[in-house]
Amino acid sequence: MSLLSVNGVSVAFANALGTFTVLDKLTFELQPGKVLGLVGESGAGKSMIGRTIAQLLPNRFHVTEGDLRFDGRDMLKTGAAEQRALLGRDIAFIPQEPLAALDPVLTIGQQIREHLDHIGRGAGRRPERDWRKVAIEALDAVHLHDPAGVLDKYPHQLSGGMCQRILIAMAFLSQPKLLIADEPTTALDVSVQARIVGLIGDMQRRHGTAVIFITHDLRLAREICDDVLVLYAGKQVEFGPASEVFERPGHPYTRALQLAIPPAAGEHRGLFTLPDRMPGLMSLKQMGGCRFAPRCPLAEARCHEVPPPDVTVGPGHRALCHKPEATPGIAPPPALEHRHRDPDAQLLFRARDVSRHYITRARLFRKPDTFPAVRSASLDLAEGEFLGIVGESGSGKSTLARLLVGLEGTSGGTMELLGRDVSGMDRGTAAFRRENVQMVFQDPQSALNPRRRVGEIVTQAMEVMNGSRADRATRAAELLQEIGLSPEMAQRYPSQMSGGQKQRVNIARALCTVPRLLIADEIVSGLDVSVQAQLLELLLHLRRERAMSIILISHDLSVVRYLCDRVLVMYRGEVVEQGEVDAVFANPQADYTRKLLAAMPGEGAPAAEKFAAEEAFA
Amino acid sequence: MPSLPLWLSNTRSLIGFTLLIFIVGAALLAPVLAPHDPNEQDLINMLLPPFWVEGSDAAFPLGTDSLGRDILSRLLYGARVAMTVAIFATLGATLLGAFLAHLAGYFGGWVDWLIGRIIDVWLSFPPVVLSLILMVGLGAGLWNVILAIVLVDWTRFCRVLRSEVMVVRRRDYVSAARLLGFSHVRTITREILPATLPLLITLMALEMGIAVVVEAILSFAGMSVGNEVPAWGQMIADARQDVYNAPSTLILPSFAVFVTVFAFNILGDGLRRSLDTRLTQTERA
Repeated sequence: MSLLSVNGVSVAFANALGTFTVLDKLTFELQPGKVLGLVGESGAGKSMIGRTIAQLLPNRFHVTEGDLRFDGRDMLKTGAAEQRALLGRDIAFIPQEPLAALDPVLTIGQQIREHLDHIGRGAGRRPERDWRKVAIEALDAVHLHDPAGVLDKYPHQLSGGMCQRILIAMAFLSQPKLLIADEPTTALDVSVQARIVGLIGDMQRRHGTAVIFITHDLRLAREICDDVLVLYAGKQVEFGPASEVFERPGHPYTRALQLAIPPAAGEHRGLFTLPDRMPGLMSLKQMGGCRFAPRCPLAEARCHEVPPPDVTVGPGHRALCHKPEATPGIAPPPALEHRHRDPDAQLLFRARDVSRHYITRARLFRKPDTFPAVRSASLDLAEGEFLGIVGESGSGKSTLARLLVGLEGTSGGTMELLGRDVSGMDRGTAAFRRENVQMVFQDPQSALNPRRRVGEIVTQAMEVMNGSRADRATRAAELLQEIGLSPEMAQRYPSQMSGGQKQRVNIARALCTVPRLLIADEIVSGLDVSVQAQLLELLLHLRRERAMSIILISHDLSVVRYLCDRVLVMYRGEVVEQGEVDAVFANPQADYTRKLLAAMPGEGAPAAEKFAAEEAFA
Repeated sequence: MPSLPLWLSNTRSLIGFTLLIFIVGAALLAPVLAPHDPNEQDLINMLLPPFWVEGSDAAFPLGTDSLGRDILSRLLYGARVAMTVAIFATLGATLLGAFLAHLAGYFGGWVDWLIGRIIDVWLSFPPVVLSLILMVGLGAGLWNVILAIVLVDWTRFCRVLRSEVMVVRRRDYVSAARLLGFSHVRTITREILPATLPLLITLMALEMGIAVVVEAILSFAGMSVGNEVPAWGQMIADARQDVYNAPSTLILPSFAVFVTVFAFNILGDGLRRSLDTRLTQTERA
């Protein structure tokens, strides 16, 4: 008998404007001890499924129809008290933000003890050392160093990865039958991500727990899931065994998502870019046919008019499509041919032994304590070249970017731009650098002034040169055209745009002065793969049109592999390796690079082995 | 109905603003509206009750004080002092405080340290005592009252705004503006000031209320404008000895202070709600 069976469950959201269906007739089953992956773009309703199962829907959301059974119990009919008892004991959660899920004013020990009380394994009148023993055992099982010491610490004294392990340990304390993990690794570094995923898999096998794993990362889902459910705009578009779904996708959406991700190894290929974005809740009502039809490369007339049937395309494998047999026909565009770097290209930028120290503690009479964020980094960049900088958070890659662009002064070393020394921060140097080097910032939310219109933002550079209103409007239209937005967008405010559009504006602003070098700091992280593919294509387009160089900072190795000619690996403020992308990926020299490559999801060794390898990191 | 500007499309701001229009109108039109000279003594008609009490005189709608001066006229003229002080003291305190706050928050480092320490020292004086001392030094007079309030209250702006400036300063769009060649002055005025302005305006409305209270305190203590100029604090002080047989002489000026401060505060609260970008950005979109 299946542990969880969901049969035609719909969830709706009601407000003054009417009722909107958020999840539409979901039907799937989860067997005990299996891992089910929920994948899809943000806004598809992934998290809402988890919340529905746990009966933790936000205000104004409610289940409108269907049947939801957990362990033989009708979940839609159980009372609040019974549900509370189930939560945490039979159904456990691992949240996205580990730091936000722990109480900042209680020690880890106090929180574990509270949890033990709740699940009925509590101390009650049992002596102190008893629950401590249980807690230490649990923390030991998730491979935390010094579990006894951790018990007396507060969440802010621990790293994100450690907090996530504690939450995993707590989730498994009650031997739950079902674990819901909502993007448990999104907020963590790649290297830590591999360990956390491995750990969840490990614990899941040991306890025979069923897991619902919510993620937007298809490679992760492929690696750890038995079954996969693909969600699009609240519709379950595909469901089946993971190997089936990823090898022989039945729905064009699944195939498109797969092809939108740059491959981390093997043959180079182009990226499939889905046009536009997922329809919003409000527009769903007007859509008669398939919700994916407007973006589907295979769509024909009936797709727009007739709702697609639920077709069985393989053993236990269903897809919601008019013609799933055509899906494998969607081919990726051919591989890029940009990898032929011009050997005679002029040297554009050169940095030698650039370093930056931060004062961590000023002292009155002695030298201050310093922390080296970047330690003697050197790099050369030819005109028209794409250089990738990779490393985990705290490796100094963003600091290096700020040094290169001149937002911060260096503590030592020299920098040359087109043969001219630009190490100093004086006016002339700054102006020269400004003409040639621009930066695209990581978070478009913070990088765009919310009080300016898009047209003003992209032509901001002309403000200093006292460009006339008409000139600026013309230039804004040109720039918007170039980055693939319609000129009418110039009148909008950033808050009226989607994340991908904002990031485009962010790029356009840096392009206004026609720089030769663009420094892009994590500009695709946190975006959906479809949007990411669109932006990567945009960068390549700019390269063809403008012949400019880009330094791309990213923690995603496959993005760097796709886009860049050379890569530079940073670890703890030092450049540990640099070279041609293909050479470094095929034959990494530095230990750290090897570990970084091994930590990528979907590549090489299965998770368990990887996990063993990762232990060497710590 | 033509749509109201954003900052007024809020019941609170609307109430506050309407009340203030009446008060400012009363102050401006005092010479026209007042039935008597506010300083004219009528010793025959001392301590007359207001019109709703028996024995009142139609010539003195709100009664008279212990020297037979018309209370309505004195209230109207008192509004002039209160409003002048509220507006100019607030403007002065805002300019000084906001200027230093933007310097400190934007440049950080030793500039911030220096301004921060000056504020610390400044705040260690109790504000009312400090203003009383200042008034003793400066001598009575409307402009001296304003100067005293400016010198006492600029720190309030400076401290709150400084932290707001620091938050905005860390946004990437400020770095981006610098990279695009904006000078420091231009960055502050074009990128940072628009973001801190809503807070600044809200603080100004609240500060006006405070200025009214401080002026009332000073004139109550006889340290504000001279005796020949009617002020609400002074009226309260004069009414003290007759509080049992003529309570209205004390209640009416107190009520005037209350209504004015209430109007400023509710306006400030309403402005905060409608100007706070965190609350309005999506609605405006």
